[in-house]
Amino acid sequence: MKEKAGYLPNIGEELAYKTVTFAGKQENLEVELPLLTQEQTNLVLENVRKASSDVLKSMTISEIVQVIDAVIEQLLDRTNYYRQKAERLLPIITGYDEEVIRTGLTTFLKIFRKHHLQRFLVEDFGNPLILDDFQPRTKRGFSKAVGPDVTVQIWSGNVPALPLWSLISSLMVKSGSIGKVPSAEPLFAGWFAQMLVDVEPKLADCLAVVWWKGGDEERERHLFKQADVVLAYGGNESLESIKSRVPITTRFLPFGHKISFGIVSSMSLDSRKAIKTVHQAANDVIRYDQQGCYSPHVFYVQKGGNVSPREFAQLLAHELEAFEKRYPRRSLSMEEGASLAEWRQKEELSMLTNHNKEVLGETNGAWTVVFSGNEGELAPTSLNRTIKVMEINDLEDVVPFIEPYRSYLQTVGIAAAPSELFAIANVLANAGVTRITALGSMNSPEAGWHHDGRFNLSDLVHMVDIEHSAEDYAESFASYTD
Amino acid sequence: MNFKNKVVLVTGSSRGIGASLARGFAREGATVVVNYLQNKRAAEEVVTSCIELGGDAWAIGADVTDESAVNEMVEEILLEAGKIDVVVNNAFKSFMFNPEQRKLAWQLNWDDYQGQIDGAVRSIHHVCQAVIPAMKKQSSGSIINMVSNLVERPIVPYHEYTTAKTAVVGYSRNLAAELGLFGIRVNCVAPGLVYPTDTTRDTKEEVKDIIISQTPLRRLTTPRDVEGPVLFLASEWSEFMTGQTLYVDGGFVMK
Repeated sequence: MKEKAGYLPNIGEELAYKTVTFAGKQENLEVELPLLTQEQTNLVLENVRKASSDVLKSMTISEIVQVIDAVIEQLLDRTNYYRQKAERLLPIITGYDEEVIRTGLTTFLKIFRKHHLQRFLVEDFGNPLILDDFQPRTKRGFSKAVGPDVTVQIWSGNVPALPLWSLISSLMVKSGSIGKVPSAEPLFAGWFAQMLVDVEPKLADCLAVVWWKGGDEERERHLFKQADVVLAYGGNESLESIKSRVPITTRFLPFGHKISFGIVSSMSLDSRKAIKTVHQAANDVIRYDQQGCYSPHVFYVQKGGNVSPREFAQLLAHELEAFEKRYPRRSLSMEEGASLAEWRQKEELSMLTNHNKEVLGETNGAWTVVFSGNEGELAPTSLNRTIKVMEINDLEDVVPFIEPYRSYLQTVGIAAAPSELFAIANVLANAGVTRITALGSMNSPEAGWHHDGRFNLSDLVHMVDIEHSAEDYAESFASYTD
Repeated sequence: MNFKNKVVLVTGSSRGIGASLARGFAREGATVVVNYLQNKRAAEEVVTSCIELGGDAWAIGADVTDESAVNEMVEEILLEAGKIDVVVNNAFKSFMFNPEQRKLAWQLNWDDYQGQIDGAVRSIHHVCQAVIPAMKKQSSGSIINMVSNLVERPIVPYHEYTTAKTAVVGYSRNLAAELGLFGIRVNCVAPGLVYPTDTTRDTKEEVKDIIISQTPLRRLTTPRDVEGPVLFLASEWSEFMTGQTLYVDGGFVMK
């Protein structure tokens, strides 16, 4: 099977492609990634810049939302051509099980329907019309939010469809986009761009989805110089290197690796609620095999419930085993398998010094739960369904364990009573956590969330103010002044 | 190899649970007759995989609701293999398992029930009648009728389907009471919601979650899960069991 990745405005030129082969369980898939020459990149840039100012800037925000909503509705329809293609091909390129892709896509796409997009807009701007025209401000005067002409986006990872966050965000601020797909999941962004254009042909030149080899200095320097905003996902090292190529006049928005964890209060571990709590925790571990930045590495479980932290770990182990039948773990690469084995071996060795410790799950199994007593430290696990359970006396006990990771902290999934929730939320906020969610919802941020504590939309725009003085002063020049 | 030299007929085994059962018997060395209604290609694929797994197999197309077709099929088996040791009545009349669109109690007419009763009890009756003479001669035989755990706990009341399957349990017990005298055993296997199969592929996640939340072993039934209990009832390991129903649903039903 063959599939062309990416999406390009019509630049009237022949393109070169690089072919990457993905081995699926049943068949192989050859994906052709569009490779642009310097001149072609320039042409694309020019087209996108022009279309962004001629087309996107002249559309109303409500028209743009309608187009996105129409595409999302199509993608939620399981008989749709692209939806079926996604369900068929994404398991091959990402290795995730078909059931994982099917349910994951629906859960993810749902938050981009019209009523959610409206929430996004209100969250960041209050009055979304500020993207269309100058709007009156409470401080007096008027303001308008103006999006960039060109946003360059560098996506990473193999969680399917993830580029939608930034692609949709930039569209909603009326910015043209040039996106670079990761070679681990190069397809979805291109399909989405094509679907947008099918729904609204005017958008044909507003987007480009391409590929180049990461770290191609000359290309990146050139591209970044002409972009208004560069938005990049990845490890800190590659982000540092990208940053070094972004000129001071271009805004750089980096989204680096993060670490997330769960907190389970003893209030959620009575004889009736414990199993539900454990189920929610397991759900957070199995969704995309912890490949998202919001996936947990550790569950801190409070002592004193009818189910002890050690029993929580054992219940979690069986829940993961049951989930393996329903949503099997994806097939791991050699390197991933080796690193997982190494992590597990280290954990097993440390049982010699920490007699409290238990390593659950078979050596070659699809999951590992480590109960490590009061070891405490929030150390990253090997992902791919490896999780640590640690016991704490009070919920606040987590603070010293997470402090060393302040700049990496992101999501906390929590099962606790309301009074506990708000008390611990303050403590976590001060420690650097930016998102607190229900246990079981860690992998599904809600519409309008603050990714890494930042604003998805308003970080992309600049505000233009008409100060009150200008308005007042203008009055004196009106022809109709008495 | 528990089933070396044993001849096993599995009705409706071109796909789903039936196909999985055919492979399960083949893995243990049995000669499997893969009965199918329409999908010859799928049946041939099951035959190929049975042979690869170390058993022997061939496919026979026959509509089990048609008495003469069933008789012809059984004659062919006896002619070819000389005996029938095990029959798994797995075929059933197609039914839309859709909790949202199912008919409510007051929307059903008698034809709805009759259709399912014909698809379940009548077809099993045809197959049993056809194999009983041969099994009597052998003084042995194991008949396994596939039902559903809904017969004990209709978590979603699919009235006509479940009524027919419940009738199969009663039918099987009566048969067991009489055929025990000839050394023929009759039992039922009642799986929970089996996923994935063609009939359950579109079952909503919410329904699955509700069932899982009430299942001690915390997941749905897979086609492979059904193999063990069926093979057990087909084998000598259960030689003193008849008239029983085994529930294969992770503990959702306890009886």
